[in-house]
Amino acid sequence: MSIKKLDQAALDRWVDGLIERKKVVGAAQRGDHFSFGELTSASELRLDYDMSILPPKKYFLPPTEDLISFRRDGGFESIFEEDPMVLLGVHPYDMFAISQLDTLFSEDNDDIHYRKRREAITIVASDVQTASEDVFAGCMGTATIDHGFDILLTKIGDQYLVDIRTEKGQAITMGFGEMPDATDDDLDQRERLWAENQKVLRKHELRPAVGYLPKLLGESYDHPIWEEKAELCFSCGSCNLVCPTCYCFDVQDELNWDVTSGHRYRIWDGCMLANFAIVAGDHNFRAAKSERFRHRYFRKGKYIPEKIGQTGCVGCGRCVSACVAKIANPVEIYNRIAEGKE
Amino acid sequence: MSKPRVAIFDFACCEGCQLQIVNMEEEILDLINLVDVVEWREAMSEQNTEYDIALVEGSITRPEDEERIKEIRGRAKILVALGACAVIGGVNKLKNRFDLEDVRRYVYHDDADMPHLQTAQTKALHEVVDVDYKIPGCPIDRKEFSYVVKCLAVGKKPEIPSYSVCVECKMKENVCRFEYNEVCLGPITRAGCGARCPSNGFWCFGCRGLVDDPNVNAAKDVMEKYGKTIDDLKHRLALFNTDEERAHA
Amino acid sequence: MSTATVAQMDLAQKDIYLPDLATVTKVASMTEMEMFLEFTLDSGQELGHEPGQFVEVSIPGIGEAPISVSSSPTQKGMFQLVVRNAGNVTNAMHQLQPGDKVGIRGPFGTCFPVEEAMKGKDILFICGGIGLVPVRSAIDYVLSNRSQYGDVTILFGAKSPAERLFTDEIEVWKARDDASFYETVDRADETWKGNVGVITRLIPPLKFDPLNTICLVCGPPVMYKYVVLELWWKRVPNESIYVSLERRMKCGVGKCGHCQINGLYACQDGPVFKFADIIEVPEAL
Repeated sequence: MSIKKLDQAALDRWVDGLIERKKVVGAAQRGDHFSFGELTSASELRLDYDMSILPPKKYFLPPTEDLISFRRDGGFESIFEEDPMVLLGVHPYDMFAISQLDTLFSEDNDDIHYRKRREAITIVASDVQTASEDVFAGCMGTATIDHGFDILLTKIGDQYLVDIRTEKGQAITMGFGEMPDATDDDLDQRERLWAENQKVLRKHELRPAVGYLPKLLGESYDHPIWEEKAELCFSCGSCNLVCPTCYCFDVQDELNWDVTSGHRYRIWDGCMLANFAIVAGDHNFRAAKSERFRHRYFRKGKYIPEKIGQTGCVGCGRCVSACVAKIANPVEIYNRIAEGKE
Repeated sequence: MSKPRVAIFDFACCEGCQLQIVNMEEEILDLINLVDVVEWREAMSEQNTEYDIALVEGSITRPEDEERIKEIRGRAKILVALGACAVIGGVNKLKNRFDLEDVRRYVYHDDADMPHLQTAQTKALHEVVDVDYKIPGCPIDRKEFSYVVKCLAVGKKPEIPSYSVCVECKMKENVCRFEYNEVCLGPITRAGCGARCPSNGFWCFGCRGLVDDPNVNAAKDVMEKYGKTIDDLKHRLALFNTDEERAHA
Repeated sequence: MSTATVAQMDLAQKDIYLPDLATVTKVASMTEMEMFLEFTLDSGQELGHEPGQFVEVSIPGIGEAPISVSSSPTQKGMFQLVVRNAGNVTNAMHQLQPGDKVGIRGPFGTCFPVEEAMKGKDILFICGGIGLVPVRSAIDYVLSNRSQYGDVTILFGAKSPAERLFTDEIEVWKARDDASFYETVDRADETWKGNVGVITRLIPPLKFDPLNTICLVCGPPVMYKYVVLELWWKRVPNESIYVSLERRMKCGVGKCGHCQINGLYACQDGPVFKFADIIEVPEAL
């Protein structure tokens, strides 16, 4: 729609103005790490953050979310918990992940609990200023992005380019006075920054081409790496839980104290957890750690791509950092199975 | 439908789990609406030998305790172990590392020979009687306690998490304690506490006992990756999980 | 607003997790572990299922579980389920009485190809234990439209005589001269006069044209490999074998991930699979 330009002070005024009118969530410092949280002042916003502990997925698919209220004598009603907000500072790889969840939750059977939340959130994405320790988005084609967001912020020198793409984005920039237009030179600089980010966000170097992963995995079902890595796996699910594209969930009923009414909620689950594939009668269809470990890498590199044509890993590297046993680096795994091929 | 009759008992423990029930505040009225509490030494004077559900805190540490828990088991349709002492033996099992006679003299000095101070190897309830359900933790988690009581009231089998504390810790968006160079038992400890300790700046002490199939061998190798030794891990395990610590000597 | 737009809006607002109410109309204990239940939807509509599909049954406060529909859609005005008491939801279902309400979502998943591949063909049903429950919907469908199919053979294996299901219907199937029924039990007791041994032993003596027969197979996880091997000995092509697979179909709508069989979702791509489609899917059997 239009690309504007703001200096830091104008950006802060804009964010403070938004905070007065709306719930505004952004990347902020938390100890020596960063996380997304509700902002009370623009000064808390850290657009130079490297990585948030959890991805912004938590606003689209919260760790627990009520779905249905019920009465035990019969009667169910939908519960919708949409939470309108402006989400500030979503990195490109996380934006790719959100777009992927949009597809997965809407296709075949539209999940309106997800959709209502999604529609209530205005996303202000932000190009990465500081590369995190384990990011490899550059290898996954997700270091920069040109769609999916409502606004994209890019820091060029001491200015921010404000790339407004949607009506929703337009709506939150109205009433803040005139923003000057970006110049052709600004846009050239942004192009150069994008090229640079694609090089910089490669703390791990994936050797096989991303498009080759489904075929590669197809030939590696019995590769020794699954057993080898799973030897050290705690089945703790940390890699699942910090992943911006993992969306498996369990569903539970919770009774009120009157035990005649209650609600049904979903809660994050993970395919690495021991009982993920267990059925009534206690048969576990993925009982071995190595089977669960393999499933995760197949899902990211083969099953999801075959379903929607995009790789299920966006290269944020959160799983690499979160794994206590240090076995969950997708790049290391995909490189290993590619050894000796091609 | 008549309300289930509940009796609450204790053995060797600090009564901290029962205190969690007392501390339910306004919810305790909901609890009493739902069940009929017929015996509870900590909170009421009545005694009763007729009950459906026995909630039992504490571990079995004396010969006469064994008789008493068997009697409770005999009367109760459902027996629930309440807290680390009852579920895994907990801190009380530290005693089992020493000579019992030394322990008794060390603790009671001149009174050690009095007949009621006889001591035996500490046992969790399930080592003496059949336990239907377990509410782990030191102390128990009030939310989990409420969940179990509501389940029992409607005839539903309560499900305590089989996964590790890491799951809840990640949901809380905590920084991993290993990043602070601490030995945290989260990866092998059963969840259900909402990762309370890591959320408040501590490592996980393992008070809920280990997950069903803990990868203790991995824990040994992982220690090395963090410049720790297996002794660091064993030291941490000993507090609540003496049996596991000794099993992996 | 035009009618079409209203319909589209309704669709756009439909909550895939919201159950419809159904009322229990009949209950009967079948074995020590299995309960037979009949329901009608409170909306007055038909369930609209195909043989082999499943529903998600909600017992509010207890939870939700995937249950195969056991009745044929040719039976109108109700649908039937048979549940084994194996978990919280099925235990609660065993307590249900006529008039009680439950929640129903579905029907979900793929069905036995009663209208396509099976038409005009000889049919061989192979059911182990509660595998008879989903297959019964197809058996009834085929027997209700008997002239449209060739020879019909039903094999049933139970662990013990006490665990045989649909014993009244078995007598009816046995009595029919346009269908063959053979059964066996793993362990006999003093009352049992029939075959003893695993279900696979019923296959070698059968005489059928492997190129003109469609086989429907359902049973415990361990059964499939051995049954398929026996069918291979008979030269049945993989294209003609259909299996119904059990997994943890938690959401039923392809989201929650629990029922995945490698890249396939048992709740959407299954539970009925053509064997030829899963021969390269290692987690399937």
